[in-house]
Amino acid sequence: MSTDVCTYTEDEVLAYVACEMNPEAEAAMAEHLGECEGCCDQAVEFRQLDLVLPSCCKEETIRWHGFETPFGRMYVAASDDGLVRLSWRQADDDAFVHEQETRFAGRPVVRDPEALADAERQLGEYFAGERSEFDLAVDLSALSEFERSVLEGAGGLPFGTVVPYSELARRIGRPKAARAVGNALGHNPVAIVVPCHRVVRQDGTLGGYTGGLEYKEALLTIEGREDLLRAG
Amino acid sequence: MSGSECARPLAEAEAAAQHGIGVRHPATNRRRGQARQLEPEARIARDARLAGWVEAHEEELERHLLRMSLRAEDARDVLQEVWVTALRSPPDDGPDSNTRAWLYRVATRRALDVLARDRRHRELLAERSGRVTPEPEASPDAWVGRLSEETRVRVRACVAGLPRRQREAVWLRWLEGCDYEMIAARLGGSAETARANVYQGLKRLRCQLCEIWCEERST
Repeated sequence: MSTDVCTYTEDEVLAYVACEMNPEAEAAMAEHLGECEGCCDQAVEFRQLDLVLPSCCKEETIRWHGFETPFGRMYVAASDDGLVRLSWRQADDDAFVHEQETRFAGRPVVRDPEALADAERQLGEYFAGERSEFDLAVDLSALSEFERSVLEGAGGLPFGTVVPYSELARRIGRPKAARAVGNALGHNPVAIVVPCHRVVRQDGTLGGYTGGLEYKEALLTIEGREDLLRAG
Repeated sequence: MSGSECARPLAEAEAAAQHGIGVRHPATNRRRGQARQLEPEARIARDARLAGWVEAHEEELERHLLRMSLRAEDARDVLQEVWVTALRSPPDDGPDSNTRAWLYRVATRRALDVLARDRRHRELLAERSGRVTPEPEASPDAWVGRLSEETRVRVRACVAGLPRRQREAVWLRWLEGCDYEMIAARLGGSAETARANVYQGLKRLRCQLCEIWCEERST
């Protein structure tokens, strides 16, 4: 091994592994790696990193996107299996990302507008009154089995229809669990796409809405159910 | 090197190319096994040119690979792949070209893959206390598929733990293949900032990955 002091930096070794050097510098580095054990070790470790990252991370990453809607800035997040979060009323991008980092601890959360462009488009069409159902996968695997069954039940409610909490409870085979159904709907992480706003009280009043009652009213208005607003 | 010694790597490279063994050169992106059909004169000229490179550079390339800590048999394999690459996708041999530098680049990149695999291979052996001998690797990154779920979780946690800007920049550069201008357009800021975020993130991950490998070895 050469006993000369190495003048290459870690950034230069990384640039070599990342193929970001000009050909002359790249050739010089290639020769240098045969002389300098330290740089060679670094290059091998960067190469290992390059091989390991896609394998370990790609399928476990949570992708997110923020965009403007009539409800203000809206955020969506998705795993490889589907939407895991739809939210508005967030303080800013960092607050939304932090929420996902907490909820999906240990999984990388990255911004990916391209992956979520279809969700943005479909939501835009819904707000414009041009879409009555969503063609988006949702991933409810982070929820309890009961919460999943409630949201899957709510997911089957057609555009413009409403059912009481008790009716949804009956439909999922838990006729005495109307209150628990209400709680589960309150934890719906993908509002609008899973239309929990279509579930109301037995007496025809709107009941609650985690996103804010004014938004439930707005969603039912989009779906032509102003009659419920007058009743409530 | 004698004429017969010189002919050996050439014949092996030719046979390997016919059987689709070796690596692809990005400049031509020709698929494996799709050897170019050449006229006899062109074939003779190509073979003569390769023989010239082998004679001029094989010994120093082998020394270079051994200095990179490759085992002798791995160095020979890497050299073989260099000649296959040179046969299939020869470097520009014009007056301003630097064939020697090109050969070094091809050999060094391939050697890094072998070392990355080999180091992890040894670590796997250590983890298993020598009770199980791993099968020979089918490809340089086959070992990645054998990482334990626990290791994968730890690697993900390292990525998740990067500052947001670094994490997103690393993701876009190394997993999505975006250039720095594209990263800057997506994340805001300049291309220089994007590059700095990628490099800082990767340097941090390199250190953490080394710690993971070391801890696994010691358990």
